[in-house]
Amino acid sequence: MKKFLEKQMDKMRPLFLPGGKFERLYPLHEANETFLLTPAEVTHGPPHVRDQLDLKRTMIMVVLALIPATLFGIFNAGYQHNLNHGIANATFVQHMIQGALLCLPIIMTSYVVGGLWEVLFAIVRKHPINEGFLVSGLLFPLTLPPTIPLWQVAVGISFGIVIGKEIFGGTGFNVLNPALTSRAFLYFAYPAQISGDKVWASGPDGWTGATPLGLGMVAHQGETIIETLNNAGYTLKSMIIGLEPGSIGETSVIACAIGAAVLILSGVGSWRIMLSGVLGLIAGSYLMQLIGSPNLKPLVDLPFWYHMVIGSFAFGIVFMATDPVSAAATNAGKWIYGFLIGFLILVIRVANPAYPEAVMLAILFMNVMAPLVDHYVVQAHIKRRTRHVYA
Amino acid sequence: MASYTIRKGLNIKLAGAPEAAITEAPEAATVAVLPAEFGPIKPRLDVQEGARVKRGQALFHDKKQPALRGVAPSAGVVKSIVYGPRRAIERIVIQIEGDEAESFPRLDPAAVKSMERRTLLELLQNTGLINLIRQRPFGRAANPEAAPKSLFVNGMATGPFQADINAIIKGRELAFQAGLDAMTRLTDGKVFLCLNGAVSNAAALAEAKNVEIHTFEGPHPSGNTSVHISRLDPMKPTDVIWTVKAVDLLQIGHLLLNGESPSHRVVALGGPAVKEGHRRYYRVRIGQSLASLVDGRLADGEVRVIRGDIFSGEKAGADDVVGLLDTSFTVLAEDRERHLLGWLMPGFSYFSVSRAFLSPWLGGLNKEWALGTNQHGELRPMVLTGLYDKYMPMNIMVDYLVRAVLANDTEEAIKLGILETLPEDYAVCAFACLSKMDLVGIIRKGLADIEKEGI
Repeated sequence: MKKFLEKQMDKMRPLFLPGGKFERLYPLHEANETFLLTPAEVTHGPPHVRDQLDLKRTMIMVVLALIPATLFGIFNAGYQHNLNHGIANATFVQHMIQGALLCLPIIMTSYVVGGLWEVLFAIVRKHPINEGFLVSGLLFPLTLPPTIPLWQVAVGISFGIVIGKEIFGGTGFNVLNPALTSRAFLYFAYPAQISGDKVWASGPDGWTGATPLGLGMVAHQGETIIETLNNAGYTLKSMIIGLEPGSIGETSVIACAIGAAVLILSGVGSWRIMLSGVLGLIAGSYLMQLIGSPNLKPLVDLPFWYHMVIGSFAFGIVFMATDPVSAAATNAGKWIYGFLIGFLILVIRVANPAYPEAVMLAILFMNVMAPLVDHYVVQAHIKRRTRHVYA
Repeated sequence: MASYTIRKGLNIKLAGAPEAAITEAPEAATVAVLPAEFGPIKPRLDVQEGARVKRGQALFHDKKQPALRGVAPSAGVVKSIVYGPRRAIERIVIQIEGDEAESFPRLDPAAVKSMERRTLLELLQNTGLINLIRQRPFGRAANPEAAPKSLFVNGMATGPFQADINAIIKGRELAFQAGLDAMTRLTDGKVFLCLNGAVSNAAALAEAKNVEIHTFEGPHPSGNTSVHISRLDPMKPTDVIWTVKAVDLLQIGHLLLNGESPSHRVVALGGPAVKEGHRRYYRVRIGQSLASLVDGRLADGEVRVIRGDIFSGEKAGADDVVGLLDTSFTVLAEDRERHLLGWLMPGFSYFSVSRAFLSPWLGGLNKEWALGTNQHGELRPMVLTGLYDKYMPMNIMVDYLVRAVLANDTEEAIKLGILETLPEDYAVCAFACLSKMDLVGIIRKGLADIEKEGI
């Protein structure tokens, strides 16, 4: 098999090399070839040996980490659909099939349309097709409601890949997380399909289902916010498991926790960002409770562990905030960056009357701020090291 | 004396370690001297083709520093002078005949200690041995005009496979101490001798006199001189420090005690692609062809001979010679093997420091690996951050230093500490770099730019 492939590749390669018939499509051939077989390239200078790890493997680890969230999201989308349509006694397989019918088109649209942009830019700009796309192409659909129109998926991923990434020079050079850029674009361009309480699960016409964060927007007379949530069927346990309306990938905290474990154990995702994000959320929660102004939303009364399981906090802090390109690059910077994301999420959640959820905006905001955070960390480092040198 | 434990870094258990036994290398008929070994000098010939030369006789001198000479490592007849592009002298080949030697002052050990700095430097220049003493920043041959604030002698070998002084020093203890004593004459500051704290060192090292001894322990690059400097005598950008390998002091000591320019040196030959039984130390003629050393000792198939160790050495060419500065050669197989769907495989049989493969979970880092030269991936932009910090045991932010160099921001690079390091210090970071960036090359370019512009 391997011998056969090697032979085929050797036969095909000249067509794509300079002077070949498909010279311009070389990035496509290269991506295809290195997908099947690891490259034969040897080191050019010291060090003469290199670690086995490359970017492809790294990105695949992120995709692996996303698989529990994806599978659960598919199941949940089907489960919600069957629930809302009153299909009783549906089996696990039926839920999965229904969920796949809802979600797979969204995921495929994202991959196909995003992939086309990626290839187009690779060919025009003559850079290799970057593996980072494998992650963005999956992250983005997982942040969308299962009812999103496919054309919006296509428009969103196009915006994210082109404006969020490629115009800066591709993966490694982007300022913002491309998947979140895509989502933010949809959120502001087509709010009707990505906010409110009608879109978070597939249901018959006229179905509505408020998310926990939606419920927390306004006070209900005579009951605490926890009671309000419980009355609507949201308990701490149910929100951890995640059988509830929401974006495809974010509802289950368990699935996100598995993803976090994969990312941290494989060393691909930054535990510093995840941990400091949680700490920031906790700090924000206590601070806002301390302020306790009547202008705050009832969500402020929730203990922090509710905030950790509500909405997309878990998904955002595990998969979005840890994107190494758009996050802070220094270790100290990562602590600050993660902490402020957690803190901002909470502040926006309880203080902003217009937005029920804040994860996307908090992370995007900190993406923009990350270079500034790093700048100060590096300046402090220079100051320290020159003091040590000039002592 | 103090001991330092370095935690950051990486030890690779590379297969094919050279046995600590010294064998005579096959006799060669010719030796060659390459002026390029002296760095950016302008050589002027002192001999013609056909001239008879003694060992230690000048073959050429530098136009700018006439005292700096390249000498014949063996006596004989100048067989040919080979010119490279733009009429630069590429090599001077000597047909070995007899063993007549130019005589230099012969000193007894006590006299070395009271030598005049100027006399000593002139002697080192006249014999070309000054080239063994390197100058920081930039890692060039020592410039006699400079006043080094201290001098570091490196008696460690943490990279696989650097020549181990303990394997070579036996029977040459006096020469070593004479070399050390000479070093104390070269600086007004201290002379530091840095030894490996994890091994039991020969008495001549552990009880060396007239120098300050410190031990370092930990994974590579804990044996690199930059690390020692950072702990013992940190540099300012304007400071000058001289460094020398302990094994090279044997050459200098030999010159001082015997009054003769050395003709031989000991080099280690190791690596998975050296045939078993041939992985050992060899006593070679300085200037003999590399081919005469390695022929018949290498594994079949395409191999790469590296001058030095796998982290800091350069690829050797087919007609290279064993130069004055060489202390070891490592041979690896050129590994062009491709793996099916490598990005998906669990990775039991891959050497990786990354826990994204299963092998490090199963103790793979403690096993012996016959690594080849495969790059295991293609060049990509820098993506994952903070990876390099685990392998840089100095107060250096590698990510940002690399970015500063790539942005041609030499001022920032100096602030971030590039002058306190040499390219070799980034080799372990580069090994682990999943974007397969050429960190060593980037830092080398950064240093070259700063050297050209002036600090």
